[in-house]
Amino acid sequence: MLENYLPVLIFLVIGFGFGAFMMALGFILGPRRPDSEKLSPYECGFEAFEDSRMKFDVRFYLVAILFIIFDLEIAFLFPWAVVLREIGMFGFVAMVIFLALLVVGFIYEWKKGALQWE
Amino acid sequence: MSFEQILFYVFSSFLVLSAGAVVTLRNPVHSALALVLAFFNSAALWMMLEAEFLAITLVLVYVGAVMVLFLFVVMMLDINIARMREGFAQLLPIGIVVAVLMFGVMYQVYNGDRFAPGDMPVPTPHAADYENTRELGLQLYTTYVFPFELAAVVLLLAIVAAIALTLRRREGTKYQAPEKQVVTRREDRVRLVKVPSEARK
Amino acid sequence: MDLTLTSFAPAMPEMFLLGMLSLVLVVDLFLTERTRHITYILSLLSLAGTFWLVLDGYPRLPELAFHGSYINDPMAALLKLFMLLAVMVVLVYSKEYIKQRDMYKGEFYLLVLFATLGMLVLASAHTLLTVYMGLELLSLSMYAMVALRRDNVDASEAAMKYFVLGAMASAMLLYGMSLVYGATGTLDFALMGEAAAKLPTNDVTMLFGIIFMLVGVAFKLGAVPFHMWVPDVYHGAPTAVTLFISSAPKLAAFAMLMRIFVDGLGELHQQWQGILIVMALLSFGLGNLVAIAQTNLKRMLAYSGISHIGFLLLGVLSGTSEGYAASLYYAITYVVMSLGGFGMILLLSRAGFEADKLDDLKGLNDRSPWFALMMMMLMFSMAGVPPFLGFWAKLAVIQAAVGVGLVWLAIAAVVFSVVGAFYYLRIIKLMYFDKPESDAPIESSADLRILLSANSLAVVGLGLFPSSLLAICSASIG
Repeated sequence: MLENYLPVLIFLVIGFGFGAFMMALGFILGPRRPDSEKLSPYECGFEAFEDSRMKFDVRFYLVAILFIIFDLEIAFLFPWAVVLREIGMFGFVAMVIFLALLVVGFIYEWKKGALQWE
Repeated sequence: MSFEQILFYVFSSFLVLSAGAVVTLRNPVHSALALVLAFFNSAALWMMLEAEFLAITLVLVYVGAVMVLFLFVVMMLDINIARMREGFAQLLPIGIVVAVLMFGVMYQVYNGDRFAPGDMPVPTPHAADYENTRELGLQLYTTYVFPFELAAVVLLLAIVAAIALTLRRREGTKYQAPEKQVVTRREDRVRLVKVPSEARK
Repeated sequence: MDLTLTSFAPAMPEMFLLGMLSLVLVVDLFLTERTRHITYILSLLSLAGTFWLVLDGYPRLPELAFHGSYINDPMAALLKLFMLLAVMVVLVYSKEYIKQRDMYKGEFYLLVLFATLGMLVLASAHTLLTVYMGLELLSLSMYAMVALRRDNVDASEAAMKYFVLGAMASAMLLYGMSLVYGATGTLDFALMGEAAAKLPTNDVTMLFGIIFMLVGVAFKLGAVPFHMWVPDVYHGAPTAVTLFISSAPKLAAFAMLMRIFVDGLGELHQQWQGILIVMALLSFGLGNLVAIAQTNLKRMLAYSGISHIGFLLLGVLSGTSEGYAASLYYAITYVVMSLGGFGMILLLSRAGFEADKLDDLKGLNDRSPWFALMMMMLMFSMAGVPPFLGFWAKLAVIQAAVGVGLVWLAIAAVVFSVVGAFYYLRIIKLMYFDKPESDAPIESSADLRILLSANSLAVVGLGLFPSSLLAICSASIG
């Protein structure tokens, strides 16, 4: 079975090698003459006003969390799609119930306004 | 050493190194990136165990979604790294004791007769047309249908809990209502007013 | 494959609850603050309907469903009945409290229903996988419930502690499960026992699997040394949530202990007994000693809860069916008393006032002789004074321990329960012999008063006829 994934491995190796090669090349060939002005943070010509990190509204994260939940749901669909013919009606109904529960969740999100941007 | 063994050692040494980097790197963003690398390597190890679906899910869900959220949070939040390192020296002895104990325990377990290399027969590799995803599907939606549906309930709970804990409605905010916008007719917006013409004075 | 509908019938209560939960979830979206009581009533109806279904399907013999993932046996049914009753009581008690604290939202009820579903699943779990799913369903809802008052610093801190420690405990449990699965090759409890019996004695993998799983279960129960979250969470969480956490989930944790260690690994009783002995001894020792030093009623009840868990473990560790029945009896008894104790805090609190200090009970007799009497009965019962319910429960577990020759442990239990009586009696002294700090009248709704009185009287009633409930418990262990 693993031989099916040999192309992926080759791809990984080439990708890794290529990236490493480019970085090494830049590291070796590129001129590096740092001075304090060059390395200091730059904000439209001023000194930086404040730290780049700040408290963000938690609602940004809510969107991401909701995305992950549905992303996980999708993961359950793949094996199901592969074997749907064999598991027949039973498997179909099982997935319908699964999805129905998440549809309830989706209705909840929608009506609560969690997907709405103010 | 066979090719697969070499691969195993490559991936597992990367895994151990990147996992070590997660806890030792000073910058939390670098830690998160090291964690991504660790996930990749464990996915590769799973793949070598012929658990293809799990390996791909690990990459899709953890690397693709969870770690992106994680990085997002780590980059945005103002984590005071200096303050988090306070008390490190005090906690270090306890940490070392716990780590040594855990290592001893693990050593006991894995050095026992159950996990010795000769103890488990080497599984015969499957043919090229074997699909682990298919085998998983055949079990998951039939034998394990109860835990499967419970997984949906847990996801539903996660939706409710996430919204209950983070959603905060502000009063008086304005937003568009597309469903109202699309049903607007000309008559709702345009009013023709007959203005009587006035004589010039 | 046998996939007829009848093979799912035993799980009818869970399916009904899930359906009703979805209904409440959708209906609540269309309600406003003024019509919120519809959510409340619907939630109570769902619980009552589930209760009826459990009662209707009360099994004589264990029935399996979902390919052995689910079991409906008398113990599951009995536990479920009391869980559902306890949750209904929680909802009635907490209604006024959450209204006054801006928690009167659909989410509170939804999370309670989710947690209840998780408890039912745990009670009926027959594979390690089901145990884990039920546990996560229960724990996730409880973390969210503790954090529900977002603007309260104490509650947020408690939620954070609970979540981090709980996630750790879940990971431990999962790790233990994987080791046990590796050693036995099965997730199914029925097959696990056979597989475990074939292993050599003191198999290292199995032993560590057991230890790790015990950590997870002990955390859920709140047994020493995995009790650190209990006082902080009980104290920090809104009292309505504390009331919930301290009641029905304890039954679920007991179910988890019984399912994994008796159904699954009953054969290896020798291996886990020693650990449980240490946990029991530490729990009733530390719980009772530290409770004396508390000035906060919620914290005091938290430590008293830890000590009660120690007593509960006495029955399980004996490894006999009498012992299991005694522990089941103890778990139910504890839930009844705990509901009463935290219910009393809810009764005395009002908008902007928590009534969670011991001093708030001062002179309760002058303010309300009736509820002072009720509280006295609850405290006597928790202390284990005859003829109240708590006494019979303690007697049953101590008898179980003596029955297997653990006389020294039984003596320690008696000694510590005498030590523990001190702080319960101090409350009675505060109520009857001290002057009240305020003479504000007790504001609470009639349903809370009536149900709380019934709850307290149940402690007396069941105490006067101890054999009835104990007989049911013995019959369910079988």
